[in-house]
Amino acid sequence: MRKLLKIARHEFRATAANKAFVVITLIGPFLILAVSLLPALAASSGSKAGSVVALVGGDAIRPALSSALGGGSSVAPLADEASAKAGVLDGKYSAALVLEPGWEGASSIPFYSKTGTDIMLYSKVSAVVDAVSRQARASVSGVAPEVVDKILKGPALDLRKLGADQAKKSSGVDDYLGILLTVMGFVMLMYMTVLLYGQLIGRSVLQEKTLKTVEIMLSAVSPRDLLWGKILGPGVAGLIQYAFWIAMALGAASVVGPALGISIPATLTPANLLWLVVFFVPAYFLYSAIYAALGAGAEDEQHLGQLAWPVIIVLMIPMVMINTFVMTPESALSVFFSFFPLTSPIVMLIRVLVSPPPAWEIALSYSILLVSVLAAGSLAARVFRVGILMTGKRRKLGEIIKWVGAR
Amino acid sequence: MLEAREVRKSYGDVRAVDGLSFSARPGEIFGLIGPNGAGKSTTIRMAMNIIAPDSGEILIRGRRLAEEDKSIVGYLPEERGLYRKAKVEEMLLYVAALKGMPEADARKNMDAWLERFGILEWKSRKIDELSKGMAQKVQFICTVIHKPRLVLFDEPFSGLDPVSQDILLDAMLELKAEGVTVLFSTHIMDHAEKICERILLVDKGREIVSGPLAEVKAKYGRNAVQIEFDGDASFVAALPFVESVRRFPRWIEAQLRPDADADELFKALAGRVRVRRFEVVSPSLHKIFTSLVGDASPETGTDAESRPEETKGGRS
Repeated sequence: MRKLLKIARHEFRATAANKAFVVITLIGPFLILAVSLLPALAASSGSKAGSVVALVGGDAIRPALSSALGGGSSVAPLADEASAKAGVLDGKYSAALVLEPGWEGASSIPFYSKTGTDIMLYSKVSAVVDAVSRQARASVSGVAPEVVDKILKGPALDLRKLGADQAKKSSGVDDYLGILLTVMGFVMLMYMTVLLYGQLIGRSVLQEKTLKTVEIMLSAVSPRDLLWGKILGPGVAGLIQYAFWIAMALGAASVVGPALGISIPATLTPANLLWLVVFFVPAYFLYSAIYAALGAGAEDEQHLGQLAWPVIIVLMIPMVMINTFVMTPESALSVFFSFFPLTSPIVMLIRVLVSPPPAWEIALSYSILLVSVLAAGSLAARVFRVGILMTGKRRKLGEIIKWVGAR
Repeated sequence: MLEAREVRKSYGDVRAVDGLSFSARPGEIFGLIGPNGAGKSTTIRMAMNIIAPDSGEILIRGRRLAEEDKSIVGYLPEERGLYRKAKVEEMLLYVAALKGMPEADARKNMDAWLERFGILEWKSRKIDELSKGMAQKVQFICTVIHKPRLVLFDEPFSGLDPVSQDILLDAMLELKAEGVTVLFSTHIMDHAEKICERILLVDKGREIVSGPLAEVKAKYGRNAVQIEFDGDASFVAALPFVESVRRFPRWIEAQLRPDADADELFKALAGRVRVRRFEVVSPSLHKIFTSLVGDASPETGTDAESRPEETKGGRS
């Protein structure tokens, strides 16, 4: 055990001194920051402050339009359609609305925009046109406008999310976006770190083997200690990295966000960040053990890359299917992948974030995961024992798996 | 201290080690000698429990190398391997720490060895920057820094210049004097001849001869004569009682037939060449080896043959 810790300490130093480690540690927070700020930015960037809408004709609509666009934005009355179009092309106006006399009765009205993607502006203008035309049509038909409003306005849906604790108000679309982006950020981080550390360990084992240092190491320590030391050392570095990131995220949520007046997704809570770490640890050990075994079996880096393909594909499942897991966290597919150990750390994390499953499901999934980690570790130690001393011949994955049975 | 009992190991059809038995004792230098591919490294790796024998066993302190015993064992593998990016100091202290030596002691030993090998100023340089010979010395220090009681050197001299080889030989003699059990393998018989107490000559995984060096020499020797002379002595090889002749730049070594007397040779030489030295010697280890195994190169060959050990090609 003492030897294992010495190896771990050595490997930790080697990892922490690595350039990749520093780079990832620095980039990680930006990912988190992006996750925290994107939804808020997306919501507030709808109609940029200062957008000007050109209006041709239809003076009656102007006051309503001005107030709907809100402060900063304005309406520019123009005489003819041509200059309005030119202004839009020049970028002078964000959009132009052209109202011919009697437009209230028309089935469509031209609305010019250069991008066509400013949904917020579009919906605001559309709402005003809709309301004004409705009132005009009502008065033409001799119906009181209030009556029309009363008839047309149905009850709005008030979304209340039910959790284990209590029903709480949430802001609908914003909340969904927040969850999705948080989940994506977390999954990205997990995927990135697990894969990078896995490859780091695979390569380090391979190097030990090709440089022949392993014979000296094994004259001092057992293969098991060497394997676990090589996994544990970078793991500690990884945890330090996560701690740093979480501090950044919480800092962003409590200081930077409010200071900039942007709201942080409600899902970026300390509890959820803790879940991230809880699932990162076994995921790290599982994939590192697998990679260590592959590194021991590989002949060179290229060979290691080939052997690792199946691993990467399995690890990519949660990435590719992230939408399915977020939209239907309780579907059979989601549940299956949240128990399957190679994907469960990420998929169960998604489920916990989106709609917390019963505690026993989390506990069961986690237990399966831990058992798998131990199993992978002992299998890796065997492959390590046999594979690391053999050189000179490329081996197929099947052959490496056979070594598991070797004494 | 170290005992091998009937160890065998095959790689496919090739019998790398075929029933070797030997033992190395404290305060003794034991030489495992043979050409390339004779099974020396395989034997040492089996002793280190890096590969398992097919049958038989190698015991260290009466059992297969156990984790607890690793701290008293030093091992210099044939294929050198140090962490290239590590500093000399880091590498040495790391290995010493894994062997369970307190850092202060390890530092003291490290400095003493580095000083002795004249590479103290390279202490905080990266292994990458060392020359091959320096790296080899560092590797040697790696093997002995934790003051092991048993050391196994696999081809410790390869890649070293003669001066460095002598430094290493001295260091090994010193270890022996401290009561350490030293086992080393080499294909260079001269080295074995210089420092070994006991030897095991192997070829193709099999024992050729073993025992105390002096005994081996006594058994196979006593009938060789070294002659230094002026003139043409080529007739010597043709004498009926001479078995073979090895030529060196300044002298020849004649191996006489078992029943022959050195006197006969002396008489035969008299008057035909001017003898400056006439010495009855035990034959060199190389001579013994080739006489037992047979040698591809003719023993009555030319003078060019000054590195006897290179004449024997081996499986590799």
